[in-house]
Amino acid sequence: MDNTVVISTPPHVKSRRTTKGIMIDVIISLFPCAVAGIVFFGWQALVVELTAVLACVATEFVYYFIWKKGFAEKCKNARYVCVNWWKQFDFTSVVTGLILALIIPSRVNWYEVIIGSVFAIAIVKMLFGGTGKNLVNPAAAARVFMLLSFTVSMNVYVAANFGPIMSDSTVITTGATNFSGFLAVGEGNAINPVDLLLGSGVAGCIGETCGLAIISGYIYLSVRKVIKWWQPLLFIAVFGITATLMSGFAGDADKLTGYYANGYIFDISLFLPHILSGGVLFAAVFMFPDYVTSPKGVWGQVVYYVAGAILVALLRHFTQKEVASFVIMLMNLIVPLIDRYIRRKPFGYKREKRVKEGK
Amino acid sequence: MKAVKGRLYFGGVHPKGAKALSENAPIETLPPPETVAISTSQSLGKPAAPVVEAGQQVKEGELIAKADGPISSDVFASVAGTVTEIKEETGAGGTLEKFIYIKRGESGEKSYFAPLPRDADGECIKARIKECGIVGLGGAGFPAAVKVAPRTPVDTLILNGAECEPYLTCDHRLMLEHTDEIARGARYVARALGVKNIIIGIEANKPECIKAFEKFDDIKPVILKKQYPMGGEKQLIYVTTGRRVGMGKLPADCGVVVQNVATAFAVCEAVELGKPLYERVLTVSGKAVKNPGNLRVRVGTPVKYIVEFCGGEKVAPKKVIQGGPMTGAALATYDVYTHKTTSGILLLDKSEAAAEEPTPCLNCGKCADVCPMHLMPMNTAFYSAAGDFDAAAKYGNVLSCIECGACEYICPAKRPLIQAIRKTKGYMRSKMTSAPPSPRPADQKGRSAPFVPLMPKDKTNNENKENGNG
Repeated sequence: MDNTVVISTPPHVKSRRTTKGIMIDVIISLFPCAVAGIVFFGWQALVVELTAVLACVATEFVYYFIWKKGFAEKCKNARYVCVNWWKQFDFTSVVTGLILALIIPSRVNWYEVIIGSVFAIAIVKMLFGGTGKNLVNPAAAARVFMLLSFTVSMNVYVAANFGPIMSDSTVITTGATNFSGFLAVGEGNAINPVDLLLGSGVAGCIGETCGLAIISGYIYLSVRKVIKWWQPLLFIAVFGITATLMSGFAGDADKLTGYYANGYIFDISLFLPHILSGGVLFAAVFMFPDYVTSPKGVWGQVVYYVAGAILVALLRHFTQKEVASFVIMLMNLIVPLIDRYIRRKPFGYKREKRVKEGK
Repeated sequence: MKAVKGRLYFGGVHPKGAKALSENAPIETLPPPETVAISTSQSLGKPAAPVVEAGQQVKEGELIAKADGPISSDVFASVAGTVTEIKEETGAGGTLEKFIYIKRGESGEKSYFAPLPRDADGECIKARIKECGIVGLGGAGFPAAVKVAPRTPVDTLILNGAECEPYLTCDHRLMLEHTDEIARGARYVARALGVKNIIIGIEANKPECIKAFEKFDDIKPVILKKQYPMGGEKQLIYVTTGRRVGMGKLPADCGVVVQNVATAFAVCEAVELGKPLYERVLTVSGKAVKNPGNLRVRVGTPVKYIVEFCGGEKVAPKKVIQGGPMTGAALATYDVYTHKTTSGILLLDKSEAAAEEPTPCLNCGKCADVCPMHLMPMNTAFYSAAGDFDAAAKYGNVLSCIECGACEYICPAKRPLIQAIRKTKGYMRSKMTSAPPSPRPADQKGRSAPFVPLMPKDKTNNENKENGNG
């Protein structure tokens, strides 16, 4: 090996940044959310996080081991297979597991977390070809899968065990995340934006509750240039405006309270509660900008974020449910179309003038 | 004229300069080697046709191969001596080239053209540029004679002193040590073109060069942001003048001609001394070479001789490159010879050379973000890997690619993007000229960087190994 040189096409110098490095950056940026989840929801949150990460990594390893031919051969050389696996291991499954753990409630049973993780890695990611080939975000797809499969435990939200605990929040509530609470009954019961930002006393998923942790993760990712800084901001801005406009229309539940008696109300003070509640902030920072499943051109990205934000706002208004992951899946599926039809114009491109016939 | 700041453009990368290695080394003249091997393909276009025969005596600067066709350039003997043989060999780029071997004699006789007066008119200068075989010394090697005779009217001459490639410092030293010659050469070119407006673009990391060029009244220095590829022709024109060269158009179509500073220096020598182009300044650098520096080297000098002159290898190099690190060719052996366009010999050690195996593409889109031509290299890589080269060319807009290498530089997965682009370009080119070849997918398994021994000890052993792998 000493007297060898490498022959390759140029460039011969490359940036030091690797896939592995980027994934470790993402894990670091998710760390505040994970810690906040453990502080808010106790040891159950820790169990969910560890289970999800370990299950995802184990699934990837098992898939690597048994897939393709020569299983018996691989069993004989198990040590080399393990070494090779570690060499190509790029921490994407850790990221998937961590994100999945952070977007589910803390009281989900451990075996349900394992089933969700196996679904995310084996079916959503590896069956489509592994890293970089999956069509939809594995964590979002697994959350949707769990939401539809484990209807009971996935709808149990516990209030965060932190700060001024609200009156009835120590009781386990069913089917009510923080945002649907205040949306349904209007201004009267709206939660203070500061509480939403800190996540104190708010019921929700493990990682989505603490806005501050998510924002610090966003700042880290932007500074490290893992994501483009404007993408989450664009999403949040469009979402907030649409949601504020939509909440001016009275829903069925609102008519009972009489809050909307005077017809359409535009209340700009609802902007902050809208963007801080539910999983929107988390999805905007960690799930929409996922490399694999977002468009590649700048204008394609603008379309993707604006359309996604409007869809989330509309569906959230009409369903009163956590719809972010559904919308992520939907938008992921139209990304190939966006990539195909919204293409960049090369430098110096001029639209050819159409010559009218008959002149 | 006072220096002004250039515009910004979207895209580009910021590789580590690594210019400090050879930045402060003054230009040295390399003593002529015992034998030189001068390729007849010294420029873009057709190779020149040899006009000498084996056994013939030649003088230094004598014509040894005549330009064949409009886009081609004359080739001159770089040492005085005897032509030993003319044979075809594989050049540094991996293609077959015809080499003229000359063994150095004792005489050292020179045969230059008659010097022109300094106020020679444009036509004379044009003829001189053509007969001295001057080519663009920036890297592409476009014959300068073609550039100074544009079909469309031009109003601006831009001198390219960006030198945006890492490691290379030859233009930097040239601009410092031969400021007046470059300025005079630029004026000759401007006179040949009939333009008054001369702009020189220099990257901001060479402040002393910018200062040196501020003393001329008729040359406008433009400070360019340190960004790769600032020295790309279309980028340079946009940054200095704000004009956009259209797709598939030449700079002359928007009234601009770009010449490298080294070319301007060569023009100056050709006009004032009558010296044909058989020498150039190149950089020897990299952490694996003992004494990095800038050398004035004769065309056809063996790379081995240059490396030995610079003290040889300090440590075993991981990559040996002829040209710049972003666009140059990796060498498998030292037994190759410099060209008119060789701007550097780099010996990169393990810590500098990129030799990682590619990992799966993440679709992160960083390659598209940094593309100075606003293309989508990931689409080219994706479709060409599937063997669909037409889609690869369509969705990646391959034909406007300038192969600067910014996309592959930034790629976190270390994908061989330039390889895919070149393959697609080759397919498109062969499709335009003749029947398309059977589309064979580019290697997706990540075998872009095969390991080969620098100096093979046992050739047969090697081939067996390669066959076994393939």
